[in-house]
Amino acid sequence: MYQPWTVKYKPKTLKEVVGNKEAIQKFVEWVKSWDRGIPPKRAAFLYGPPGVGKTVTVEALANDLKMELVEKNASDYRTEEAVKRFAGLASQYGSLFGTKRIILFDELDGLTGTADKGGVKAITDITKTAQCPIVLIANNAFDPRFAFLRNYCLLIEFKKPSTTDVLKHLKGICLKEGIEAEENALKFIAQRSEGDIRSAVTDLQALAQGKKRLTYDDVSWLGFRDRQETIFTVLRMILYGKTCEGAKRAVDMADVDTDMLFEWIYENVPAHLTDPHDLARAMDALSMADVYRGRIRKTQDWSFVRYVVDFMSAGVAMARVNTKTSGWTPFRFPERIQALSRSKEERAMQLEIGRKIKRRCHISATRAAKEVLPYLRIIFKNNVKMAAGIAKWLDLTPEMIEYVAESKEKAAAINKLLS
Amino acid sequence: MSFEMWAEKYRPKTLDEMVNQKEIVERLKSFVKAKNVPHCIFAGPPGTGKTTAALCLARDLYGENYREYIMELNASDERGIDVVRETVKTFARVRSIGEVPFKIMILDEADNMTADAQQALRRTMERYTETCRFILCANYSGKIIEPIQSRCAPFRFTYLPREEHDKYLRHIAENEGVKLLDEGLDAIYEVCGGDLRRAINTLQAAASLGKPIDAKVVYSIAGRANPADVQKMIETAMKGNFIEARKQLREMIQKYGVAGNDIIRQIHTEIFRADIPEPWKIRMADIVGEIDYRLVEGADEEVQLSALLARLVEAAYEMRGVVKKV
Repeated sequence: MYQPWTVKYKPKTLKEVVGNKEAIQKFVEWVKSWDRGIPPKRAAFLYGPPGVGKTVTVEALANDLKMELVEKNASDYRTEEAVKRFAGLASQYGSLFGTKRIILFDELDGLTGTADKGGVKAITDITKTAQCPIVLIANNAFDPRFAFLRNYCLLIEFKKPSTTDVLKHLKGICLKEGIEAEENALKFIAQRSEGDIRSAVTDLQALAQGKKRLTYDDVSWLGFRDRQETIFTVLRMILYGKTCEGAKRAVDMADVDTDMLFEWIYENVPAHLTDPHDLARAMDALSMADVYRGRIRKTQDWSFVRYVVDFMSAGVAMARVNTKTSGWTPFRFPERIQALSRSKEERAMQLEIGRKIKRRCHISATRAAKEVLPYLRIIFKNNVKMAAGIAKWLDLTPEMIEYVAESKEKAAAINKLLS
Repeated sequence: MSFEMWAEKYRPKTLDEMVNQKEIVERLKSFVKAKNVPHCIFAGPPGTGKTTAALCLARDLYGENYREYIMELNASDERGIDVVRETVKTFARVRSIGEVPFKIMILDEADNMTADAQQALRRTMERYTETCRFILCANYSGKIIEPIQSRCAPFRFTYLPREEHDKYLRHIAENEGVKLLDEGLDAIYEVCGGDLRRAINTLQAAASLGKPIDAKVVYSIAGRANPADVQKMIETAMKGNFIEARKQLREMIQKYGVAGNDIIRQIHTEIFRADIPEPWKIRMADIVGEIDYRLVEGADEEVQLSALLARLVEAAYEMRGVVKKV
């Protein structure tokens, strides 16, 4: 089973948390002040952009100070009643077993408009009278919904860590995974993440997992793509979508074009739809999407694109009948695109050699590359003398010889005979 | 052992040296005698001597300097209409000096020419008949448009008969000092059909190993030289490993440039050979046919063919279920 690196390499102690040193210190001092009695603000409100380490900080602190962390997500406190259930917990600093308690309300932004109004009010009520530290987390603390709640909170801003900080974190992971990574490859990932450590780590995993080396070439082709998090969300909505509508909406959310999104889906379908019937259905949907792409090309009528979207999103989503959604499977970058650019160069080389063969053998360069080259490979691998003779006869360049021989040593031996 | 491509070294130089296609050779010899050659279509499978026959004809006709009187053009490399217009015209319209009043244009792999280019060619053939004769080599004469066919003398090349094939390869092996065992020869024929070019290439690659050539050597060469291992890909899919099968497909298409319709044709053949219950074969044929049609309509070979692989995975899975129940 794969484990997301964001979980595997989550900081266990505050020392490991990347960046935001001041904010963390302010937070630690406030928590420690509870030992001397209830401070003026009974809640700390940590806010800042996604993936900068707010939740991680709270978890690491609880771990460092051996406190009991009660963690609640938006789904746990949608309504007033739901929140009130935690009121009891908040009325005591020490738990039954003598450890100190800290209560975390995460993802406060997740509460929507009117429906969850009671939730914010109930949290405010708890905060006013809490007997233990309450921590609130949101991206934007200045949302009008939190106006009243803010009065009772110590506001602590978390900022995006610098590229250098993110880079350091990525290096640490590569070291532990035994991946030899080029500095500028990691720097590229760090820069693209714009301070979002979580997405940087997710990027790194998708690109480097299972590899020994990570080069700049492996990552640079991603340059045009925008933020990572979006594409993963979009893929999840499609590959695990329950409704046609939801899957189709995901396509609009994607910040890559339809063709690129198609590649993402095409790459990831087999790992996420493992039941043979589901897989066949999903691949059939992609095949149909592709047929409509062909029809667009033929008719130049772009209105057909809606059917492409139907099949590649809703068609794939509806394919899931038997495959269980258990465990965590990583999303992979579309390998085909990378492979294509690599093999383009290779095919150009094959054609060059084909032209050399053509000059001698009355066969088209295209066919020579396909039908004669494979035999040359075998000869060049096994018989240096014969290879040298043929290389001379065909007038192959040293690069061509190395390509055919598929080995530097063999090529050197052949070239030596030639000189 | 000589160190050039044997397929070229042992290509016959004159019509007399051509061991096979007896009737064709006789007719070509009569052209030489009359010093007149009509437009010709040489049709037949690869490696049966089409290009060789054209070159031999030219040498017998013009003598050692035959290269000055002929032009070889390969439609697979240059199949556009512009090439026909420019290159062919320029060559065709200039009268040759010498005993024979015309030049010869050898258009190899002519069935790969676009229909437009063929139309242009048809006019050129008509206009410059006086100064230039065309020999079109093709695997399928059916892909040559009717008006051209009707202007050409057709010659149908067939695979070498087994004895001729064996005689030829034995001759090469002896000349090169290579030990070719009978079972090795059998294997070459089995692997290459009667395609002599492939047979000679296989022989040379096998000889490069420096061992007596037995069946095992030949099969290992053939396996390595044949990137389009469709059979292996089908097996991988039938075992249920879709991701690996798709990887093999991708390699075939991207690295070796195998055409999608070649792959689907092979899948179609393999299915009827496969070890599966008879009624399933026709169900599979239906699936293959559907994807073949989509391939024509669609845009992306890998996407279409991997959809087919997914159906194979599914069919094999279902089949296992049925077998278990019985």
